[in-house]
Amino acid sequence: MKLRSSRIALYLGVAATCAVLLFPIYWLLVTAISPPADLRSLPPRFWPDVPQWQVFSRIAEERPMLLWLTNSTLAALGSVALSMTVSVFAGYALSRFRVRGGQSLGLFILTAKMLPATLLVIPLFGIFRSVGLIGSLWSVVLAHATLIVPFTTWMLKGYFDTIPRELEQAAMVDGCSPLGALFRVILPVATPGLAATALYGFVLSWSDYAYARTFLTNAQQSWTANLGITTMKGEYVTDWNEISAAAVFVALPILVIYLFLERYLVGGLTAGAEK
Amino acid sequence: MSTQSIPAQPLAARAPGRRRRFGLDLARPSRRHWLGYLLLAPAVLLIALIIVYPLFISLDLSFQNVGIARLDQPRRPFTLANYERLFTSAEFWMACWVTFKLLVIVTGACFVLGLATALLVNNRFRGRSIARLFVALPWAVPEVIAVIIFAWIFDSSFGLMNWLFITLGLTSQTINWFSDPDAAFAVVAITMIWKGYPFVSIMALAGLQSIPEDFYNAAKVDGANAWQRFTNITIPTLMPVLGVTIVLVMLWVFRDFSIIYVLTGGGPLKATQTLSIMTYEQAFGFFKMGYASAVGIVTLVLCVLASLLMVGRRAEAMY
Repeated sequence: MKLRSSRIALYLGVAATCAVLLFPIYWLLVTAISPPADLRSLPPRFWPDVPQWQVFSRIAEERPMLLWLTNSTLAALGSVALSMTVSVFAGYALSRFRVRGGQSLGLFILTAKMLPATLLVIPLFGIFRSVGLIGSLWSVVLAHATLIVPFTTWMLKGYFDTIPRELEQAAMVDGCSPLGALFRVILPVATPGLAATALYGFVLSWSDYAYARTFLTNAQQSWTANLGITTMKGEYVTDWNEISAAAVFVALPILVIYLFLERYLVGGLTAGAEK
Repeated sequence: MSTQSIPAQPLAARAPGRRRRFGLDLARPSRRHWLGYLLLAPAVLLIALIIVYPLFISLDLSFQNVGIARLDQPRRPFTLANYERLFTSAEFWMACWVTFKLLVIVTGACFVLGLATALLVNNRFRGRSIARLFVALPWAVPEVIAVIIFAWIFDSSFGLMNWLFITLGLTSQTINWFSDPDAAFAVVAITMIWKGYPFVSIMALAGLQSIPEDFYNAAKVDGANAWQRFTNITIPTLMPVLGVTIVLVMLWVFRDFSIIYVLTGGGPLKATQTLSIMTYEQAFGFFKMGYASAVGIVTLVLCVLASLLMVGRRAEAMY
């Protein structure tokens, strides 16, 4: 009997905690689908009588949502591809070879994670201006690589460390070259790790606002989703219906990745810390 | 690291031709090889180009009187004026104070909330894997979206929070959250806590799962009550992970830009202007990039010092 009541208390506790903590997300959805009049009613309505689901199709037509989402996707794919290409080799080298200066490189990459974006954005702005990249998505691809490379290199080094060296030895005994062993044996084995790392990089790039704001503000055709949506937030008046609907679009990809591939993301997050 | 691999001798004996051809044996303790350098080269080049070189430029900029940074112009004469101005400006010390307040409040609250939620869903119950997923869901909400949600909840005319405050009788009239310095600071802190606690709970959960059940059973046999088990087993075993997590959360608060900038822009009356926001405002609001670089360099030094202070010699282990 005592056990049962403590069980019920536990369920209630979990339900209440989730309800409070996730209420803001729920409220975003409700705001998006409420008729405008409902948003000005007091007391507030916690579920609209007539949900306005068409707000999503309306916002997709009236605002360049699709363009923004495409730009965000392109920027994320570009920076992840760039970062993964260099990080796979670097992570492998840091894991398997003893290279002169390898440790100091590793340490530098660690401190690079501490760099404030607001500091790095100033010289990058100068550089991109002199090579004419301001306003182009390439500026954001390169800038996001500064966020992603330090993470992916270390995550991948961690994954490679968990793969036994005997695998490459066997492959090389069988006639593989060292690079052949990497491509034909190690990378296929490391696929889950590679996917997790790439996914994490994608989330990092998708969530950026600082670099997009600085490099792309004057080039509307290059706006990423996060930049575009902030322009819908007025200083005095904001159409909360529209901006909430747009926010649902922007948040959805990451939420879906999290809900279905959480194990991979979290594996990457916690991999380094548990040593 | 390398000494645990199997001895090289049998392998070399089995395939002498291979070894000579590549001169590479991954099992040997010292695996210095040109291939290692070759594999590192692309990353080194990229990092040099997009991190080291820019960093050098901003250090250089911080010693010049520069408005808008232009690389195609000759560098201005060396000056310490930016740093002199910085350390004598009230705005800088105010930004330091705001950053410090935010660090303590947000990190503290994230820690408590994250640990509490982790402990809650670490219990055994049906559906706990779903609960674990949901309890950390805000982690997956992009910062800008979190800002939109909270800007609406704290809206001065029709926001939910004003309604709640009036209904509960806490205030008699609506609060203008974004024009009152203290209120705006509170909104920034709440938004950051909501966005930041899930990271702590994800890390704490991972740590909790690595504690063997036997520890608790043994303690129970010895007559330890729940609180004693928590303070004597859970906290000590979790401490290494939690220490690292706290530092990472602190670094995030230190450097965060999007939440504060989109929510308040550093205002009102600079009440929410952290060092990060000040750097950006000086650079792209007032176009004083030399001065802004000086603020940024000082921020970076503070970041590195703070994290070294927190983790000490374990700095390497945190990654």
